[in-house]
Amino acid sequence: MATIAVPLGGQQERQAIEAVRRPALSEYLRWSVDHKIIGVQYGVTALLFFLIGGAMAMAIRLELLTPNLDVMVSGAAYNSMFTMHGTIMIFLFIIPMWAAYGNYVVPLQLGAKDMAFPWLNAFAYWLIPPAGVVMLLGYFVSPAEAGWTSYPPLSTLFSGDGQTLWALGAHLLGLSSIFGSINFIVTILNMRPPEMTLWRMPLLCWAVLATSIIAVMATPFLAGALTLLLLDRMTGTTFFDASGGGDVLLWQNIFWFYSHPAVYIMVLPGMGVLSEVLSIHSRKPVFGYRMVGLSSMAIAIVGFTVWAHHMFTSLQPELRIPFMITSMIIAVPTGIKMFSWLGTIWGGKIHFTSAMLFALGFMSMFVIGGITGVMLAALPFDIHVHDTYFVVSHFHFVLFGGSVFAIYAALYHWFPKVTGRMMNERLGVIHFLFTYFGFLITFFPMHIVGMLGMPRRVAVFDPAFTDMNRLISFAAFVLGFSTFIVFYNIIHSYFRGQIAGANPWRALTLEWATTSPPPVTNFEDDPIPYEDPYGYGTEAASAYLDAVDQAFDGRRPASPGGH
Amino acid sequence: MTAYVERTQKQKLRDRRDAEMRLKNNRLGMNIFQISWIMAFVALVVVNWQLRFSYTQWPPEGVAPYDPLLPSVGALALLFSSVLVYRGLKSLRASRTGAFLNAWRLGIALGLIFMAIIIYEFISVSDAAMSTQYGVTFRLMTGFHFVHALVILGIMIRVYQNGDAGKYSADEHGSWAVEGAAKLWYFVTVAWMLFYVVLYWIR
Repeated sequence: MATIAVPLGGQQERQAIEAVRRPALSEYLRWSVDHKIIGVQYGVTALLFFLIGGAMAMAIRLELLTPNLDVMVSGAAYNSMFTMHGTIMIFLFIIPMWAAYGNYVVPLQLGAKDMAFPWLNAFAYWLIPPAGVVMLLGYFVSPAEAGWTSYPPLSTLFSGDGQTLWALGAHLLGLSSIFGSINFIVTILNMRPPEMTLWRMPLLCWAVLATSIIAVMATPFLAGALTLLLLDRMTGTTFFDASGGGDVLLWQNIFWFYSHPAVYIMVLPGMGVLSEVLSIHSRKPVFGYRMVGLSSMAIAIVGFTVWAHHMFTSLQPELRIPFMITSMIIAVPTGIKMFSWLGTIWGGKIHFTSAMLFALGFMSMFVIGGITGVMLAALPFDIHVHDTYFVVSHFHFVLFGGSVFAIYAALYHWFPKVTGRMMNERLGVIHFLFTYFGFLITFFPMHIVGMLGMPRRVAVFDPAFTDMNRLISFAAFVLGFSTFIVFYNIIHSYFRGQIAGANPWRALTLEWATTSPPPVTNFEDDPIPYEDPYGYGTEAASAYLDAVDQAFDGRRPASPGGH
Repeated sequence: MTAYVERTQKQKLRDRRDAEMRLKNNRLGMNIFQISWIMAFVALVVVNWQLRFSYTQWPPEGVAPYDPLLPSVGALALLFSSVLVYRGLKSLRASRTGAFLNAWRLGIALGLIFMAIIIYEFISVSDAAMSTQYGVTFRLMTGFHFVHALVILGIMIRVYQNGDAGKYSADEHGSWAVEGAAKLWYFVTVAWMLFYVVLYWIR
């Protein structure tokens, strides 16, 4: 006869969790080489910048309520607003946010004690806050106003000293990204347990590996471009000035050789998150596991051959068609992923948790962003909508509808592991509804105003677009409000959330086979991964999950007799 | 007592495994850094290449091409320096500390000769060249390379001093710092070969 373990009372459990496990809040403010502390540091920093960038977006939409210039003091103020909005969201929110999840989850999924280079990891994080401050300091001189892409001559001849600070900040962030990525690649390739071959690795690790390969290969180009920009601005060279033998297209080439791959840096980890969340919350193995892993690599490689599609209107005509073709080829590995996700949830036992809702939201939004991406890759159409709101709509569908939805899904999914407490599901669903509809009504109409010819990056527009812009702005305010729901949820759940236990989602990957939050060394002994990270729905899997529950929470098996 | 012995043995095993892992990580990390950062040099080659199209000919009209003689000597010095550094590492691994120190002393001296040549090249760009991108990109690239060479040569000298003080042992763990510095120096060599060809030979 099996002995029946007596479940601990809630009170006892709470005391246990407070006493031994959660790091003190002050530890997060100090230099630490623990990947779990660094992960949280990255995440909280990124979310704070998300608030700043979001406030800027609200200011932009406030300005666009009317066709005249009325909120901002000048057109230049509006320019700097969207410049800093883009820069902060990309360099200081999305990229560090993925570094946060990568840092926290990847070593755990690999059963490792820490990252390969803990000191370098901490150093990469501590480059970010100063870089953000340097960028924002621009507001005390004259802020950058050349857009996040900083095309010369706007960024060399017309923008103030803030542009120099912008370039310095971006330089630091680039270094941080390279150091972080070297760390990820070495950790993922070297520190897996012997039982875990590359083909048994969780898909988030595949995605982070592909992302890091892109980052180490592409970011030095950003460093090169920024160095030239700084030299042009400060020492009087003329690399980007045709009157001195320079070439304005030089910046566009080098910048986009980094920045197009960078859009995959921003979305590939999200795709990894999707594979995790969809599989776990619909209790089904990932459909076409190998193809999903390989498609991440394919996106990483093909992503290096498409940069000039950002320059269709300025490119030599004979190069346009090749870049159009490679840009369209990117849709193939992306389509493989979409197909895999649909196959994964098809016929699954779907739990509509907040994480799952955001993952499904990602799928619906990303497919729209992907289709408009193929439309934009088509040269004749691109020339028609070049620099209109159609483009703005496209990249918000992939960056907000894609990356940010995935960031939210990952937040609801891994918050219990990080803090030991569940997020509030009811607030999560409300947050999802506000975000989903706020997002859709904000950005979908932008396709229409873009097709009708409203240019991007202008504060004053044709009064004919007023009604549409009103609608967009009001929806944007709803979207902005939705952020406060999730921030409240994070803070509330951190203190008052339900105790999560080791494995609240009954997931098979290794990060759930330890306490929540994990001890300093992550695992007591060397963990042995379950043979298939997504082998849900088998007897063996439920026996394994029951054993995990019993080992960490002293809980009885969920199904009586199931062993 | 047996339990204690067992525990210390287990701990020893674990320490050795951790040390193995550190070495493996360091090597892979170094390789990835080399592949990654060479892209910054490639980016400058792209800059040089694209700016050539601003002119009808390269070097531009009225600008004398650079004389490749002295930089070829520099490139040879750098190559030999890298070979010596490699041989020094091999000697250290074979416990011949004296041979290691000799090789590195000579390697560092050759590195200094190379850098002196680069400084001379950097200074002697003509005003006519500096009024075009031919001169500006030249100074950009040699200067960018020089900064890397300077920092890494500093690391090499530090490693040499440590070696002189007998801080390295023949096994792979005890000589990782030497291996790391050597690999950084190979990086400097490869990066210079790239620039050397682009700057002096491709017209």
